[in-house]
Amino acid sequence: MSQVEKKAGLLRRTSSSKKPLKEKVVLMYDEIFAKEDPAKNNPRFWDELFLMKVNLEYLESKLESVDGEEVQRIQDNINSLFHHCVQALGEEHQIKVVNALQTLCALFRGVHQKNKSASGFDIINMLMGFDKAEQRMKDLMERLDSLLCGDGSESLKSLCLKLLLCLVTVTDNISQNTILEYVMINSIFEAILQILSDVSSRGQHGYDAVVLLALLVNYRKYESVNPYIVKLSIVDDEPTLDGMGMVVHHALTEYNRQYKDKEEENQGGFFSTLTSMVGSMFIADADEKLSVQTNEAILLALYEAVHLNRNFITVLAQSHPEMDIPTTPTTPTPTTPTTPLGTTPPSLDMMNNPELPLDPNLQTSNLLITFLKYASIVMQDTKDEHRLNSARLCLIILTCIAEDQYADAFLHDDNMNFRVNLHRMPMRHRKKAVDKNIPSRPLVCAVLDLMVEFIVTHMMKDFPMDLYLRCVQIIHKLLCYQKKCRIRLHYTWRELWSALINLLKFLLSNETTLLAKHNIFQLALLVVNLFNMFITYGDTFLPTSNSYDELYYEIVRMHQVFDNLYCMVLRVSTNTGQWKEAASKVTHALVNVRAIVNHFNPKIESYAAVNHISQLSEEQVLEVVRSNYDTLTLKLQDGLDQFERYSEQPKEAAFFKELVRSISLNVRKNVSLNTLSQDVLLKEFSTIS
Amino acid sequence: MADAEVSLSPALRPLHLSPSHSAPPPPPASSSSPTTFSCPSSPSSASSSSSSSSSSSCSESSSDCPVHHHHHHHHLRPQLQLPPPPHSEQPSSPSASPRSSSPSGSIGSTGSLGSSASEGIGSSGMSSGADARGPSPPLDIISEDAMEMDLGVDQEVALKACQEVLLKVKLQNREVPEHPDTNAPPSARPESSSLLSAASASKQSWLLRLFESKLFDVSMAISYLYKSKEPGVQAYIGNRLFSFPDSEVDFYLPQLLNMYVHMDTEVGDAIRPYLIYRCTGGITFSLLTAWLLGAYSSDMHISTQRHSRGTKLRKLILSDELKPSASSFSPGDPTPDSPTPGEGFVSPSRRTHQRSKSDATTAGSGPGSGLRRTGSNPKGEAVHEEPERLRPQRELVKSLLGIGKRLATLPTKEQKTHRLISELSMLNHKLPARVWLPTAERQHHVCRIPNTQAVVLNSKDKAPYLIYVEVLECESFETSPVPVRIPETRIRSARSAENLDCGVAAHRAGSFSTVPNYDNDDEAWATDDIGQLQVEVEAKTSSSDNISQFSVDSITSLESKEPIFIAAGDIRRRLSENLAHTPTTFRRDPEDPSAVALKEPWQEKVRRIREGSPYGHLLNWRLLSVIVKCGDDLRQELLAYQVLRQLQSIWQQERVPLWIKPYKILVMSLDSGMIEPVLNAVSLHQVRKQSQLSLLDYFLQEHGSFTTEAFLTAQRNFVQSCAGYSLICYLLQVKDRHNGNILLDSEGHIIHIDFGFILSSSPRNLGFETSAFKLTAEFVDVMGGLDGDMFIYYKMLMLQGLIAARKHMEKVLQIVEIMQQGSHLPCFHGSSTIRGLKERFHMSLTEEQLQLLVEQLVDGSMRSITTKLYDSFQYVTNGIM
Repeated sequence: MSQVEKKAGLLRRTSSSKKPLKEKVVLMYDEIFAKEDPAKNNPRFWDELFLMKVNLEYLESKLESVDGEEVQRIQDNINSLFHHCVQALGEEHQIKVVNALQTLCALFRGVHQKNKSASGFDIINMLMGFDKAEQRMKDLMERLDSLLCGDGSESLKSLCLKLLLCLVTVTDNISQNTILEYVMINSIFEAILQILSDVSSRGQHGYDAVVLLALLVNYRKYESVNPYIVKLSIVDDEPTLDGMGMVVHHALTEYNRQYKDKEEENQGGFFSTLTSMVGSMFIADADEKLSVQTNEAILLALYEAVHLNRNFITVLAQSHPEMDIPTTPTTPTPTTPTTPLGTTPPSLDMMNNPELPLDPNLQTSNLLITFLKYASIVMQDTKDEHRLNSARLCLIILTCIAEDQYADAFLHDDNMNFRVNLHRMPMRHRKKAVDKNIPSRPLVCAVLDLMVEFIVTHMMKDFPMDLYLRCVQIIHKLLCYQKKCRIRLHYTWRELWSALINLLKFLLSNETTLLAKHNIFQLALLVVNLFNMFITYGDTFLPTSNSYDELYYEIVRMHQVFDNLYCMVLRVSTNTGQWKEAASKVTHALVNVRAIVNHFNPKIESYAAVNHISQLSEEQVLEVVRSNYDTLTLKLQDGLDQFERYSEQPKEAAFFKELVRSISLNVRKNVSLNTLSQDVLLKEFSTIS
Repeated sequence: MADAEVSLSPALRPLHLSPSHSAPPPPPASSSSPTTFSCPSSPSSASSSSSSSSSSSCSESSSDCPVHHHHHHHHLRPQLQLPPPPHSEQPSSPSASPRSSSPSGSIGSTGSLGSSASEGIGSSGMSSGADARGPSPPLDIISEDAMEMDLGVDQEVALKACQEVLLKVKLQNREVPEHPDTNAPPSARPESSSLLSAASASKQSWLLRLFESKLFDVSMAISYLYKSKEPGVQAYIGNRLFSFPDSEVDFYLPQLLNMYVHMDTEVGDAIRPYLIYRCTGGITFSLLTAWLLGAYSSDMHISTQRHSRGTKLRKLILSDELKPSASSFSPGDPTPDSPTPGEGFVSPSRRTHQRSKSDATTAGSGPGSGLRRTGSNPKGEAVHEEPERLRPQRELVKSLLGIGKRLATLPTKEQKTHRLISELSMLNHKLPARVWLPTAERQHHVCRIPNTQAVVLNSKDKAPYLIYVEVLECESFETSPVPVRIPETRIRSARSAENLDCGVAAHRAGSFSTVPNYDNDDEAWATDDIGQLQVEVEAKTSSSDNISQFSVDSITSLESKEPIFIAAGDIRRRLSENLAHTPTTFRRDPEDPSAVALKEPWQEKVRRIREGSPYGHLLNWRLLSVIVKCGDDLRQELLAYQVLRQLQSIWQQERVPLWIKPYKILVMSLDSGMIEPVLNAVSLHQVRKQSQLSLLDYFLQEHGSFTTEAFLTAQRNFVQSCAGYSLICYLLQVKDRHNGNILLDSEGHIIHIDFGFILSSSPRNLGFETSAFKLTAEFVDVMGGLDGDMFIYYKMLMLQGLIAARKHMEKVLQIVEIMQQGSHLPCFHGSSTIRGLKERFHMSLTEEQLQLLVEQLVDGSMRSITTKLYDSFQYVTNGIM
């Protein structure tokens, strides 16, 4: 958007100024790309170079235009440029540091653009020279590290992060970026953490830091020992983890807010309501798309934190008022924070202003709630590739959460009740609940609501089988926890049951189309086993005795679906074919449901006959159910409360590879050194120097 | 007479001297700075020793408590390093006392008029009678005097007797309080010598003898301090305060401070040294004093208030200049050892250091050393270098009260609750610290506030809230090192250690050959990881030799040859049984968030919170709770608490099984404070609303049917507490008795809370609640009806309670009377408050007449429709059933 304009404007300016008279810096670049050592005639060449305003475009295009043989010729000069860039980072003169950072960025980019096909080693050789590379990169990383952690200008820090992001994303596939090997050896992990733990720096650089971390963690994730993975997994410092959570929270909140604004805007006219019904509002808007993409990076960071770091789970439940973290700190943190209680200096943003804003409309929120709201928006529409990926990632994160017993504990904590306003897809056959007064409930209810919502709204031809599987598995994991801990959640299970039965119905009626692409028996088995959970273990987690009766009522009421399913799986399992075994598993799983149907149906019919009632009321059916339990025998099925734990490798590896690639592309596109206008920098530094 | 005097002279002399020994501070065990006080001169100490031994021998014949007291003094002496008594004629004094004790004893028993049960009277209760057991016949006269005085009869006669003597004391004493510097002893020496000389010079002082007697307790001291117009007496008592155990004086702290604030200079000067001394000794005392001073000064006119004694003392305390100075840590005194390095280093530049205390925090690189640059995070190491003693605690209180104020601005309970939780989570980041809950008995440091457990209490426009507080007990909260912060995240690693056990336990519980037994409550489900369990199960599956006790979870149906069958009926039955067996819990009600939290049994709550706390594994971990109140004047509550405590101890002493539960009150300012919550109790309103049962049916539901022991116990508890509170309500004229203000605990006791309307004040001055106390038909039902034995028992208890209370009326009156001084509290409205209170003790009635009175009161309350009317009034206006 505006960045593009700015870029264009910048280009225009340079191109127009090129003809009448070449900038001095351009002349100097030309010298570098000549054979001679530029310092030969002018010993102060490098000193002067970094005093010049960088012309990124020219430098990059120059690098691109260099072809194979020329490379050999000018390699010494480029190595020298790189070397002097690194050295300039240590200069006291801040303008030199800025220029060096930008020059380095241009170097990394230019070299890679040119040499898409070249091996990583060639690139390293070209930039630094094989023999020097290790030392150069060590120096570079150390300088960046000290810049990031020092007391220097915030703009400089920002630029450092941009450079790192630039370096990390120069290749489409992050694992092919050989230079990162040096970033692995010379870790800047600690610098990233420091940025996240400090209130003011987090506000300004948190986003970049988190994205950088997420990307670095994904470098050769499956092939080698990535020190960033190791380090991230053992962080237990609360302020840092909180800081990371806050950055993610802020980004997701911002997205949710934008979405809500847009939605409200669109709800204005009749036409817009119509378009939103069709669900086209996202595709139409390029901006919207952009923000979705950038959020993939944040979502990836959230995933990595949840997946790798056990301690991060506590951050999810850390409640704080829903408010915007100022992107620019209004007041820099005092160097010596006062510690009222004498131990811990304030670490969270709020602690600096003890008087929190007193807006009564301010909802208390936590990362998990924000995430659930975000997921409810993203999962509405999965047609778009990015949104599908985001939805999948959301479900993966939820899977990790549902498996974590600490997370389960606070999800089910009866003392932590929240109203979670999930976004519900506008659909023709149901009214959009206008400001439905959602009761304040334990958070797990919101998770279940979200799952039910997904199940109900995605029965379409282009069936997102993968998402459905994850969804049902999440429910299963939550039920396992409830069963294990005897938590009787006051949840309207009926909604879940009917959603699941409808899902089975959908699978049945689209058997042929779906079978062409998916193994629907796997999903059917999971769904039936959810019912088996309720049937066999309902006594351990259902909230009331009535709810068990209602379960039977629901099964008996919808018996036709189960009958049809049984016929179908029986048919498939008796035929020989690829689904034989999968289908036969479902037939086994259906044994109790069928027993229930076969037991109660005749009883109900005879009750109706005896009492001469054509249509039994629900209460009457429940009565029949209640009085006939004792003659029904069920078979105990095993392994109902077992589940396969989530593991990223090997199943999800491909997905993450693709995801990281897409994020890399996106970040590369958006990292713009021009976002930091040089004018601002110069103004800032002119006062210093 | 004269003969007796002669025979007594060896014993008497020391008696006069003993102020010198009682003036020094309390035993060193309780304080770190006794050695700063110079020892009394040897002659006086010597005589003091003989005095105490003589008096002990007197008292031995009467009761245990004075003996105990004596031991107390005994301990004191060696530690003050006094030379051994040179007197060898000591044995002579004990020999004198038995002789005199027997006649006086008989007089004493006659002296205690009303009490038929003379046995087992505690030390304070027999104060009047026991005086008579002094060493000589003449003392009997005094004792009667004293007794009369104790009953509020004119004391002028006795006062005159010692006026001359004490005048001199006063003159000596005057100079002393002017030194806030506590290193100098609030020296009793000059007075003692003056007393000595005066005593030897003058005639016998009966009053002084009383004061010197072992039976002179805090209550009497306070009473004389208040009533005596004689500066000498006041000054003497001011000194004498030092000799009482801290805890006993602490009870009367509100009275002392109110006198300090509102009475004339002499009283103030008499009390001041003691206050200064105690403030120097302890942070807790300092803060309590400062808070109370603030609250009691606030009734003064603003112009006088600023320059008043109370305000000045408060400022002095809060300026934190009253700290034990470095020199007070004498070698060999073990307690201050731990902070000494810091303290000693700090003191020269104390001022500057105060401001830069956070520099200590950068030092820590402790457990987080895995992260290179996280050094900015504090680890608790350097905490005991706290530059300001009072600051952390004051900050905690400030934060808590601030939260209360902010909550009050939010419209709904739900928003309040959410806000409370998130505010507390921020507060948690600053814990642990050198802060404590002043309502607690034991020394501790607060380490964590489980923020999600906090609840907002029911109140129309204020926002009182209840928090649970995790503390770690310690030797001394002032000197023990503050516990190191354990990050919230650490709970996970701590738990994983438990996982193994839990996994095994869970597995064992789940492995049955037929059906898993769901009724086993020992399964420690809550803590283990799902994954852990799974691994366990998988391991089991692979080992085929375990088939005999295979887990139902561990085999797939395909493998098992013998399918296992279960009856659907069983599942359904287990479900309803499980539901029935779980202890009745209240449903969550967003409009009444506290109901659920309060209903949960305390032990259960402690277990649950401990499980979820990173500090839970520590042995000295405890859970406390406190109610924070903002915008309410708790001074009246405090007064009620004192009266309740006094009556409780009277009843205990008189062995009347009345049950009441005084809950602690902390007044922190005119309109804020903290309350110790009553555990395991919910309000009758909540009971009714949640259970939709009558009170009797609720009892049956909670405790079992009529004949069960549990029910009978609960019923007895109910009756005993009803009787107790009926009397309280009558004596104190407690109003506003709706069901939201009466709690029911899990043992069946009722507990009245909210003493906002007592004595002369009643809500809105409407004509409601004219009955003496609340006794509804529901209550009577629980007691088993009007004709039941328990109802008769109820009335009998009331009679006994009234008789006992009457006997010690003065001790109750005294508490109220002193607090009336200078107070604008609504409960003192009008001029007849004290008279009215006194009249309700009905001193003039015979026991038969009293019995009639009780009948009338009960009858009146029963028939009174006003209580009922008031309940419906409350329902209409406040939604309280």
